[in-house]
Amino acid sequence: MSLRLVRIDDRLIHGQVVAVWLRALGAQRIVIVDDASARDAFLSEVLTLAAPQGVPVEVHGVAEGAVRLIELARTSEPVMVLARSPRTILGLRQAGVPIEVVDLGGMGSGPGRRRLHKTISVSPDELRELRELEQLGTRVEVQIVADDRPIPFRSLDSGS
Amino acid sequence: MKRKYGTVGTTVAVGLGLMMLTVAAAAVPGAVLGANGAASADATGAHTISVTVWQAALIGLGYYLANSPWLFGLAFFTLYRPLVAGLLVGLILGDPAQGTLIGAAINVPYLGFISAGGSLPADAGFAGWVGTTIALASGLDATKAIPIAFGLGLLGTIIFYGRMAIDSIFAHWADARAEKADIAGVALMNWLPGQILLFVISFVPVFVFALNGPTYVQDALNRLPLWTVNGLVIAGGILPAIGIALNMRFIFRGAAIPYFFIGFILMTATHQSMSLVVVAAIGLALAYLHLNFVRTPAEPKAETAGAAEPQASPAAAAATAEPGVRLTRGDLIRSWALWTFFAHANYNYERLQGTGFAHAMTPIIKRLYTTEDEIRAALKRHLVFFNTEPNFGNVVHGTVIAMEEQRANGAAIDDDAINSVKSGLMGPMAGIGDTLSQSTITPILLALGIGIAGGTASGSAVPANSGVTGNPLGPIIYTVLVSLVIVTIGYTAWMQGYARGRSFVTEILKSGAIDRVLVGAGVLGNMVLGALAAKFVIVNLAPTVTIAGAQLNLQASVLDPLFPGVLPLGLVVMTWWLLRRRVSPLALLAVYLVVSILAAYPFFGPGQKDSSDFSYQACTSSLLHQYYPCGAPPVPSAQP
Repeated sequence: MSLRLVRIDDRLIHGQVVAVWLRALGAQRIVIVDDASARDAFLSEVLTLAAPQGVPVEVHGVAEGAVRLIELARTSEPVMVLARSPRTILGLRQAGVPIEVVDLGGMGSGPGRRRLHKTISVSPDELRELRELEQLGTRVEVQIVADDRPIPFRSLDSGS
Repeated sequence: MKRKYGTVGTTVAVGLGLMMLTVAAAAVPGAVLGANGAASADATGAHTISVTVWQAALIGLGYYLANSPWLFGLAFFTLYRPLVAGLLVGLILGDPAQGTLIGAAINVPYLGFISAGGSLPADAGFAGWVGTTIALASGLDATKAIPIAFGLGLLGTIIFYGRMAIDSIFAHWADARAEKADIAGVALMNWLPGQILLFVISFVPVFVFALNGPTYVQDALNRLPLWTVNGLVIAGGILPAIGIALNMRFIFRGAAIPYFFIGFILMTATHQSMSLVVVAAIGLALAYLHLNFVRTPAEPKAETAGAAEPQASPAAAAATAEPGVRLTRGDLIRSWALWTFFAHANYNYERLQGTGFAHAMTPIIKRLYTTEDEIRAALKRHLVFFNTEPNFGNVVHGTVIAMEEQRANGAAIDDDAINSVKSGLMGPMAGIGDTLSQSTITPILLALGIGIAGGTASGSAVPANSGVTGNPLGPIIYTVLVSLVIVTIGYTAWMQGYARGRSFVTEILKSGAIDRVLVGAGVLGNMVLGALAAKFVIVNLAPTVTIAGAQLNLQASVLDPLFPGVLPLGLVVMTWWLLRRRVSPLALLAVYLVVSILAAYPFFGPGQKDSSDFSYQACTSSLLHQYYPCGAPPVPSAQP
C-alpha cells in the first residue's frame, strides 16, 4: 500500500509533518487534497514550496485528488496524503480511493468544538463524518507525533 | 505504524526506573573508585558540594525562567539547554567550569531535540538544571551525569503535559474578557495565570530535587555492586551516540554525508584536541565551496494551476488610502515584542499559541478600532487556534497586521480572508521555520558551544578527575550567537511580512535562498557533528587477540591502526541506521544502558571495594584507564 499516511491536519504541511513524519514514513511525495487551497493560487504555491527539497508536493481539489490518488495507490511510490477535514477524506473514500487508515494529526479547537485528545477537537459535523468513515471500513486513529501510540478514534468517541 | 506502549506511561515508568537505578548506582562515589583524593571535601572522598536552601531556590528559579517568556522569548534557545544550564548551575554552586563541563556532556544526547506543535519528547531543561545540580553537588563526573540526566529529562515531561492541559482554562478566561471588549484583560490572561501556574509546577519540584537529590545520592552508598557503576561510565560514552544520531536524522543526507566523516576524521586524527571553532571555520569554507561548485540535480517542485496573483503591497495600499487610522512604527515594534516575549506564555492544547497571538495583536487593535463591537470582534478573531514557528513564522503576523490596517481603513477584507491567511500560512511557515531554527541553526550552534565548553583535553572529552575543566566561553558564545540569529530572523520576518505582504513569502521561497541556507548549514552542521561524535562517543573494548604469540588489545592494536576511531564511528552510524528504521530512541536508550551495565561485569568482575586496589586495576584496564591514570601501585598487603 503506497498511501503511507493519510492525515487530517488543519495546518497541512508544518513543523511536525516536515521534521518528523516525512522521515519516519520515507514518503517521497506529498499530495494535498483541499478544495479551498486548490482554488487559491497563492496558497497552492506556498504549500508546494514549503516541503523540503526533493519532495514534490501536489495540491488538488477533491474530485481531481481522488483520480490522482487512485492512480498513485496502484504504484509502489510512498505517498503522504494531507487534508484539512474529515469531509475531504470522506469525499475521497466515497470516490473510491483505497484508504485503510486515517490519522487525526491536528484539528484545532474553537466555539462549538469538543476536544477529544490533546490538540484534536471536533465539531458535530466532523464527528458524523468520522463515524461514517469508520462505517465505510476506514480505521480512524489519533496519532499526533510519529512516536506516539495510535489511539483508535472509537475509544475517544463517547457517542457512537 | 508500529504499535508502541502508551507514551506517557512508558516515559514516566522508564524515567523513574532509570532514575532510581542510576541515582542509586551513582551513589558509589569516586572515593571507592579511587578518585583523586586530594581535592575531596568530605569523608567519602568525592568533591561534593552541599546545596543550601538559597542555592536550591536559585536553581528552581532558573528552571522556571528557562520555561518562561521573560527573556525575550529566547529562554527556549538558551537557559533551557543543558549547555547553558550547566554554566548557570555551576555559578550558583560555586564551580562554573565543572558545571559547564557537565552541562555540555548532558546536552549531547539532546542535540536532536525538537519541540513542535505542542509536543515535548523529553524535558531537556529539567535534565540540564537538575542533572547538573545532582552531578555537581555529588561530585560525579560528567560521564556519569549523562544517564542520570536522561532519566530526569523523561520525568520532566510531566510538568509540560500538566501545563499544556491546565492552560486551556486560561484561554477561556481570555474569551470571557474578549466578549467584554476588554483588550487589557485579554492580554493579562495570556500571561498572568499561566505564569503563576508555571512557576509553581516548575520551581517546587526542582527546588526539592536540588536540595535533597545530592544528599540522597551520597547517602545511598554501595547500594548497587561496583560493576554496575562501571556500566554507567560505559553508558556515558555510548549514549551521546543517540543524541548525535538523532541530529543526523535531519542533516546527514545526500551530498552532505561526506562532511560528517571529514569532521570525525579531523577530530580523531588530532586525538580529540582540535578546536571546534577551527572545525567550524573549515566547515564554513567547505560550505561556500560546496554551494558554488557542487552541482545538484534540479529538484522539480509540482506546478500549480494558475498564475501567481499580482500582489499590491498591502502596506503601500493603506498608505495611499484616504487618511484614516495608521499604525505607527511603535505599534509594530510593540506588537512584535509582545509576540516575541509571550507567544508561549499560555501555551495550551486547545489553542496552542492562540492567546499569545491575541496578546500580540492588542496594540494593533487598540490603535485601529474604537467601537466596542469592533474591538470585541477583533479580539475574538485572533483568539482562535494558532501555531507556527515563532520566528520565521512572523511573516504571518506581519501580513495579518497589514490586512487589519487595510480593513480598518475601509478595505473589503472580511474575517474569512484574514483567517484563511493565518490558517493557510501558519502550517507551511512552521514547516520551514522549524527546519531552520530547531533542526539546523540551534543544533549547529549548540554543537559548537559544546565543543568549546568541553575543554581542550587531548584525551577524551569528558575525562573524570583528570583536572580538565569546562570552558564557560562555550555556553556564552552559544548564547550570544543563537540570540542574534533568532532575533534577527524574527524581526526581519515580522517587518517584511508587514511591508511586503504575501509576496514576501513566495519571493523568499522561490528565490531558493532558504534552500541555499539549508544546504550550507548541512555542510557545516555535518562537519561539526562528526567532530562532536569523535569527541564524545567513547567505545573501548577490552577483548584481546593473540597475534604472533602476543596478547594484543583488539581495538588498540588491530582496529584503530586500520582506521582510527572505527568503533565509535561504527556505533554512531549503526545508531543512525536503527533510528532510520524507526526504532524508538527510548528503546535504544534502554538497550544501550542495559548493554553497558551488563558488559561491565565480564570486564571487571564483581568489582573491588578497596579504593586503592581498584584504581590500580582500573588504570590497567583498557576501558577505564583514561579515567584512572596509573599512579603508584598499592601497598603489597592490598594486592590480591
